[in-house]
Parts: sequence; structure tokens; C-alpha cells
Amino acid sequence: MAEVRLDGLIKYYDDVLAVDDVNLTIKDGDFVALLGPSGCGKTTTLNLIAGLIDLSDGEIWIGDRDVTDLDPKDRDIAMVFQNYALYPTKTVYNNLAFPLQMRKTPKNAIDERVRKTAEMLSITHLLDRLPRELSGGQQQRVALGRALVRNPRAFLMDEPLSNLDAKLRVQMRAELKRFHQTLNATMIYVTHDQLEAMTMADNIAVMSDGRVQQYGPPEEIFYDPANLFVAGFIGSPAMNFLHGEISTENGVTSVKGDPGWVYPLTPANAQKASHCTSGRIIIGARPANLILSREEHPGMIPGSVYTVEPTGDTTFVHITIGDQIYVAITDPFFRAEPDDPIWVDLEDDRIHIFDEATEEVLREDGLNSQSIHGKKTLQPA
Amino acid sequence: MASNATSVEERRERARRRKPKRQIRMSDVLAWFTLILLLLFSLVPMAWMLSTSLKTQFAALQLPPEWIPSNITFEHYIRLLSPGSEVGQEFLRYFWNSIFVSTMTTLAAVAIAVPAGYAFSKFRFPGRQGFFIAVLIRNMFPAIVFLIPLFIMMRTFGLIDTHLALIITYLTFGLPLAIWLLKGFYDNIPTELEYAARIDGASRFQAFIRIIMPLSTPGIIATAIYAFIIAWNEYVYALTFLSSRNLLTLPVGLQRFFDEFVTNWPGLMAASFVMSIPVVIIFLVLQRFFIQALTEGAVKS
Ligand SMILES: Nc1ncnc2c1ncn2[C@@H]1O[C@H](COP(=O)(O)OP(=O)(O)OP(=O)(O)O)[C@@H](O)[C@H]1O
Ligand SMILES: [Mg+2]
Repeated sequence: MAEVRLDGLIKYYDDVLAVDDVNLTIKDGDFVALLGPSGCGKTTTLNLIAGLIDLSDGEIWIGDRDVTDLDPKDRDIAMVFQNYALYPTKTVYNNLAFPLQMRKTPKNAIDERVRKTAEMLSITHLLDRLPRELSGGQQQRVALGRALVRNPRAFLMDEPLSNLDAKLRVQMRAELKRFHQTLNATMIYVTHDQLEAMTMADNIAVMSDGRVQQYGPPEEIFYDPANLFVAGFIGSPAMNFLHGEISTENGVTSVKGDPGWVYPLTPANAQKASHCTSGRIIIGARPANLILSREEHPGMIPGSVYTVEPTGDTTFVHITIGDQIYVAITDPFFRAEPDDPIWVDLEDDRIHIFDEATEEVLREDGLNSQSIHGKKTLQPA
Repeated sequence: MASNATSVEERRERARRRKPKRQIRMSDVLAWFTLILLLLFSLVPMAWMLSTSLKTQFAALQLPPEWIPSNITFEHYIRLLSPGSEVGQEFLRYFWNSIFVSTMTTLAAVAIAVPAGYAFSKFRFPGRQGFFIAVLIRNMFPAIVFLIPLFIMMRTFGLIDTHLALIITYLTFGLPLAIWLLKGFYDNIPTELEYAARIDGASRFQAFIRIIMPLSTPGIIATAIYAFIIAWNEYVYALTFLSSRNLLTLPVGLQRFFDEFVTNWPGLMAASFVMSIPVVIIFLVLQRFFIQALTEGAVKS
């Protein structure tokens, strides 16, 4: 296994900028998820690492080798494709054996490796079948097996679970994590499912528009988002964003919201807001950090109930403030009628302050260590 | 709603026995009618040819004609196929020439169309679209239009009265459709298969030979049949480009039979029948692939 380093990757498809200056270091033995919405360049990045498509600019290092100009076969990596890409004319056995045959492994060693891998994935009884005679979950295992049968320097996986049903997905997720832990493999895992990324990855690279927006451990991505995109993309239901203007009266800094509400900031949050250059900020508050009250209290934001969704464990309350709808998670027994008046308080030490102009997070020291727009290679914290 | 009187078991049993209703519709009848007409249209001449070829010269000219000859004779076949007789020698030479030209055309067509179809499907290169359209436009003109230009070209290259001239000409007929057909095939093969093979340690060429090509076998076979039949049946160019008697192909050769043995209808029919045998055999053996190719490969684009 080896470290994988991406240095300023740029990829143009004709005039489409699919990957825009991606810098990442995936440490030896790390499980890194590339997470982002559809079309953000995840697959392209993975294919660049594999060498399947030509780079427009940048360098790729695997271990201590510069592989930028090497053929895929010489990069010593394994890959699992979203549609599995099993060889239709070969049996499961020969699908697994192919990577070894291409590397001129002796016949008896091939047999041993294939059977061992099949055993590990519980597909021994399928070895004589053709891919089209397998269920989706079985095909997925064979695709995984074709990658695991060798001992590559890194595993690349492109949404390997997305074609499975929900239950199988949960099961395979746990299995994949086990594999990673037992093999100590370097894994780069593409997904647009944040739950997969959060549950499996040591580090997550959140991508959008061909750029890495933030790179760090799941907790950091969740609790300390670097910008508005990451904050809005991670978490379900999504984070609430309250736009407003900063104003200071009698030494107290408040946010004046658009439809006439005023929310006073704590000194720590006021310190963050003071780094704002535009005068307008966005408060980011996760649904769980909204506190609802039936009575008016000073410093709370007035709104009205839009609808109430009991889910069993918790209840989602949709609230209208001005012309926006926000979501709060409350205790399971909260009940209210539509249009009931309601007041919203925020957990002040859990909210995030963003500059409305730059959409970057504002921190107390004014430094955004996660800002991506520099050239440096990011190391996970 | 199910009545309470019948139990679930009874209803299940009834449901199991129920046959899907087969209604004969007007459109079915029309379809059958058309198919039968087409069948007659193609089979009757064949049957007539076979029947005549088994008659004596005298019986062949009888009126009204007999469908099933009362005296079946194989004399014409024997004469045609025995290398000893003068006619047999000539016929076998034409037959061999046809086999040679058609086989060479087929091999060359496959060797060119397979990589070309793949390139048009998966590679991006300058002029890709333009080339492809140019290839297809060739098919919009009737073959005869190119007779004089090709003749002049062949003369310039000193190829008149050679088999090579015919092979090249037949390639220009067969390749456009062959390339188009195979491109359709390769379009339908996911790029990820090639990617997977390359990651698994194959070079681009190995990935093509070991993974992609086997998947396009039906397309390759269809291409081969198509090229073979074009070359096997072609008449006008063979007549124009060849003058030496010992180089002639069967269609032109049969024409000579026609001229020289005007009255020998059974002989001519026997020769025609023998001529159709290779194509029929090839088609019967490989038709499965051919049909698969036409329905599967060309769906897209
Ligand atoms: N072969 C191609 N030719 C031209 N543009 C392409 C090509 N492949 C991808 N793109 C474009 O590049 C961008 C990134 O595509 P990519 O496939 O990497 O996205 P992705 O993050 O993997 O999305 P998804 O989650 O939908 O798989 C998209 O805008 C896409 O339209
Ligand atoms: Mg993708």
C-alpha cells in the first residue's frame, strides 16, 4: 500500500472544466471519500488517478513514484466501477483470474488467490457462472473480488454500492469498512451519499464544481464546515441559513434579519462576525440546534408553524420566518397546528457564521485554515 | 371482488390453469399473408432452378413444364464438377476465382472495419465526424456511378485484369456499412470494460483483443457475411475489369455459359444452383449471429 498524492490536477473536456486544481494527499492506509453532488468531477478525478484519461495539468504520485505519464497497467492500482464492468464472456472464476493472468502469475498461484478471494467474499459457489447469471449484489461482490485478488498499491472505487438496494447497501458498507481495516489498504472511494462517506471514511474530500471544498475527518466536515457549500451539503435535513445585516448598538452586536427580526450575537459569535467584510452574514444552524418556544422571549426570532412531521424518534417542524421555510428537530411529542405562532432560539455555541459575500466561514481568529483557494497541498488535520 | 363462495385455493387453481388469451387479430393475418407472399417470391425461383437442373435437356423444354421431373438426372452436375471435362474445368476455375476474390474481400473488410469501427466509436480525433459522414455518403450513390472513375484509377495503377482490382472495388462497396455496423456494436459496449481490463494489467491493444473483440463477434460475423455476399454476386465490375478467361468469377462465367450453350437450360440452372450453395451454407451456419447483429448492434446512433 502507498500514499497517493494529487498535485494541482486540472482536467478539461474540450471547454468543460471538470477538475479544477485538485490538491490532495491520501495517506498510506487511509480510507478517503470523494463526496459531492452529481457532475462535480468525482469520477473524472478517480479516472485521472487510474490513468484512464489524460490529465490537462498537474502531477500524480503513488508512493515515491511519479505516475503522471504511466499507463493504468503500470500504476499498480485496482478499481471497482459503478456498473461493475465484469467481463461478460468470462466466468466469475476467470473474471477474478484475469488481473493475475495479465501479470503473468503462475497458474497454481492464480488458483490459490482466486479461491482465497472467493472464500473471503463468500462467492465460491458462483465461480462457474457467467456475470449475467448473477444478482446485482453478487455482481458487486465479484467486482470487489477482482480488485481484492491482487495486492495493489491503492484501491479506487466509483460508487460501488449505488446500484444495490438499501438493505444490501448497509451490509456491504460495513463489510467494506472491515476489508479496509483488515487489509490496511489505501482506498479512494467516490460517492454522492454523505452517509456512506461519513460512516466509512477516515477523511472526506467534499467536492463541488471540480474543486475540493474541504478535506478532513468526518467530524470536522460536519461540525466545522469551511464554507456555505459544505455546510449545506452535509447533514440531513440540511442546515438552515438565516441571512442578515450586522449592527452594533450599545456594545451589543446583533443580526438584523430581512423580515424584521433581530438576533443578538454572543461575544464569541460577534467576534467572528467582526471579520465580515461585506456587513452581511449568514447564520448557519442545524435543525437540531434550533430551540422552539410557544411564548415570546426577548432575543428570539418570531415565526409560524408551517407543518409538523413526526418521524417516530424525533419530530421535524417546518417554520416560516419571513418568506423562508426552516426546519427544526424537536422532541417526538411536539405537536402544533399550521400557522401557530412560534419563537426560535439558536444554540449559540453550535451555530456557524458565514460571510454572505465570500460564502466562507468566519472564525474568531479571522483565519480560515481550511480555505482551499491557496495552492498548498492539504493535509488532513 | 372474489365471492366468498369460492375458496382461495380454488381461485388459485383456476388462475393457474388459465391460458393467456390468444386472439387472432387482423394485423396478424396481414402479417402472415405478407410473409407467405415474400416466402413464395423467394422460394419459387429457387425451386424452379433446382427442378430444371435435374431434368434432361429435352424435358426442360417441355410444355406444360413438370414441377417434379419424372426422370431425375444428375448429368449436369457431374459434368460441371468433374475436372476431367472441358466444361467442368472451366466451371471449377470460375468457382475457385470467386471463392478467392470473395474470401480475400471478406478478410480485408474485417481487418479494416473492426479497428475502424472501434476508432470511430471510442476515439476522439480531428475530423472524426467528417470521416464518418464521408464513409456513409459513399453508400448514397449507386455502385455503377463509380465504374468509370474506378476503371481509370485501376488502369493508372496497372491493375486492370487482376483480382486485386476487384477486391479493392468490393471493399469500397462493403466497408461503409461494415464500419457503421461495427461502430454501433462498439457504441453499445461500455467503455468501463476497456477501462477495467487496462487497470487489470492489459495494454490498450490487449484490452481490445481479449475483452472487447470477443463481445463484438456477432458484428464481425455479420460484417464478414455481408462482404462475402457482395463480392460473390457482383457482376458489372467483374465483367469490366477482367478480360482474361482464366481470371473470370462465377457471375461473369455463368454469363458465358449462357452465351455459348444457349439451349442448355438445365446446365445453366445446375451451375446457378452450385453457385448459390456457398452463400446458403454460410448463411445457415451463421444466421444466428447475423440476426443478433442487425437487431442489437445497429439499434443506437
Ligand atoms: N467524456 C466526457 N466528455 C465531456 N464532458 C464530460 C465527460 N465526462 C464527464 N464530463 C463532464 O465533466 C463533469 C464532471 O463529470 P464527472 O463524471 O466526473 O462527475 P461525477 O462527480 O462523477 O458525477 P456523478 O455523481 O453524476 O457520477 C460534468 O460536468 C460532466 O458533464
Ligand atoms: Mg461519477
